[in-house]
Amino acid sequence: MTDTSQNNQTVSRVDWNSEKQVARLKKRYIKEKIFKSIAILSLGTALAALLVVLISIFSTGISGFTETRIMMDIRIDENIVGDVDNLTQEELETHIASININRMLVSSLQEKFPDVTRRADVFSLLRLFSVGAQSDIREAILDDITIIGNTVPISLKAGSDVDMLIKGNISRDVVESDRKISDQQIIWVDQFISEGRVTQNFNWGFFTSGDSREPELAGIWSATVGSFLTLLVTFMISFPIGVGSAIYLEEFAPKNRLTDIIEININNLAAVPSIIFGLLGLAIFINFMNLPRSAPLVGGLTLALMTLPTIIITARAAIKAVPPSIKEAAIGLGASHMQTVFHHVLPLSMPGILTGSIIGMAQALGETAPLLMIGMVAFIVDTPTGITEAATALPVQVYLWADSPERGFLEKTSAAIMILLAFLIIMNGLAIWLRQKFEKKW
Amino acid sequence: MVNKMNILNVSEGNTASVDLTEPKIKAKKVNVYYGDNHALKDIDLNINPNEVTALIGPSGCGKSTFLRCLNRMNDTIDTCRVEGNIFLDNQNINDKKIDVVQLRARIGMVFQKPNPFPKSIYDNIAYGPRIHGIANNKSELDDIVHSSLKKAGLWNEVHDRLDASGTSLSGGQQQRLCIARTIAIEPEVILMDEPCSALDPIATAIIEELIEDLKNRYAIVIVTHSMQQAARISQKTAFFHLGKLMEVGDTATIFTNPTHEKTKDYITGRYG
Repeated sequence: MTDTSQNNQTVSRVDWNSEKQVARLKKRYIKEKIFKSIAILSLGTALAALLVVLISIFSTGISGFTETRIMMDIRIDENIVGDVDNLTQEELETHIASININRMLVSSLQEKFPDVTRRADVFSLLRLFSVGAQSDIREAILDDITIIGNTVPISLKAGSDVDMLIKGNISRDVVESDRKISDQQIIWVDQFISEGRVTQNFNWGFFTSGDSREPELAGIWSATVGSFLTLLVTFMISFPIGVGSAIYLEEFAPKNRLTDIIEININNLAAVPSIIFGLLGLAIFINFMNLPRSAPLVGGLTLALMTLPTIIITARAAIKAVPPSIKEAAIGLGASHMQTVFHHVLPLSMPGILTGSIIGMAQALGETAPLLMIGMVAFIVDTPTGITEAATALPVQVYLWADSPERGFLEKTSAAIMILLAFLIIMNGLAIWLRQKFEKKW
Repeated sequence: MVNKMNILNVSEGNTASVDLTEPKIKAKKVNVYYGDNHALKDIDLNINPNEVTALIGPSGCGKSTFLRCLNRMNDTIDTCRVEGNIFLDNQNINDKKIDVVQLRARIGMVFQKPNPFPKSIYDNIAYGPRIHGIANNKSELDDIVHSSLKKAGLWNEVHDRLDASGTSLSGGQQQRLCIARTIAIEPEVILMDEPCSALDPIATAIIEELIEDLKNRYAIVIVTHSMQQAARISQKTAFFHLGKLMEVGDTATIFTNPTHEKTKDYITGRYG
């Protein structure tokens, strides 16, 4: 028996060393190599594209995190400030807010540049400083009222044009009429620089203030709060509804034509352009239900509609991934269907559900189009304190700034994009962390 | 301790009062369909108390399907339809009025692949008593966990790590954990679906010893692909073939003197 089979093998065996076989082998290796190099090439292209985007955003945006300040000797004129001796702190604050700081700044500037007398020249000298310089002086007085009557050096926020000049975003080589800063202004700035009065500081205001018409004063805080409130509403609505629908569809719903149609529709909804959800939100929540325009409530509801399919699809996948053996074990012990789902299936699928939800939320965070439709594109300076107040969101803020003509908003746009990207990376990181932390082995 | 004694007494009392000549489960004309596929045809089979009944037969013959009829596990399969009557102590379990949750607490099941919950060993055992409200307090629950692990012969191996995950145990230990989990709710019948097919010979020997021991308290129905296992541990053997119950009788008779030609072929390993 054994001998025959061995003989048979020898007869039918391929001659692996024949020229034909060697050539075949070589061809196979070449094919593998070509496939591998194409794969690496496409991966490399994708990475390079990503790198180009990141580098261009970073190189433009990084200067958005710094601000230019000019140290000026300001005479805190007691005649302008008036009598503050018997005021409480609160009264003092109201009083300081009402005094004419501009006059103080102008007279200090005239003291420094005595030869500047023409009204227009004084005005262009004043333009070197931001409107925010006035609050710098106010804060200095409130910090220490003993400076009233004295001349003290105060670091003042420079205007956007000076800021751009210092950062090199406005070229000195361009003819005067083509740039926003005049030759005379440049001479003054150079004088400040030579006196060592110009400094570059970290721009905390960018994180703590709201939008502004002045690029140097504009910040992302109100947009961030708006985004947070919107996402809060989105999560509160879409997570329970999405997970509930997923559980019902996956575990309890009868498998028939109706549930098939529902499933197909949910899958299709995930691919519907987001602006259509915006139109839907406009029609239903604002025009029909008369909810407040521009509010995180409506934004959140609209984004919830958009996020629901994502959450349902990922939650269903996570629930489906729970091994049937676990369900059988619970049912075999006499657990009811409901107990099986809530004691075993849901806890085991929770990491997957959370991952999907966070990715859905990240998608909602970056969404702009639906928010434009429901009016969250307004110019909002104040930070919203509730979900019914007018607000804007981070991506919309990026859109608004990108649309602004001022040179200073260019770096702000890129800086805001960096913040948005940072939030997205944090959220995706959280999703990965959750998945790894709670992943159970069966 | 008093409570634990109570539980034991009750179950022992039950065992004592059972009429050993009366079958625990009587299946009458059971037919099962998966869609259009007629999987089980007119099965009549009695399961006796304090006995191991082995179901043997080639793959796809319907023995697992029959086993899953006994605790209505087939309810979970949408396309599956069961006809006929199965009596547990003269109560028809296919009756619409029967609460299937209670039924499955009375008829426990051990599966082919060990399937402990991804929870601690303690919680694995305690889950059944918790959902059925068997234990009144923590110490009673502790006692149930202790006695169940003891009866499943696992106590000595895991008593110092009850908090460890059930999935961290070896395959054989996991299967004994599943058995302990089943007996924690004191069922009357234990169904085993090829409980040793995923285990090595040593773990298999331990489980077989355990089954030998458990049959003094429960009626056991076991599906197995191993002739030797059926011969070793069962008192009664039923041979299934193509959805039909070909032959049933004392294990000794079936293995030494089968009446049916097919049974003989299968047992001697000519096919299957």
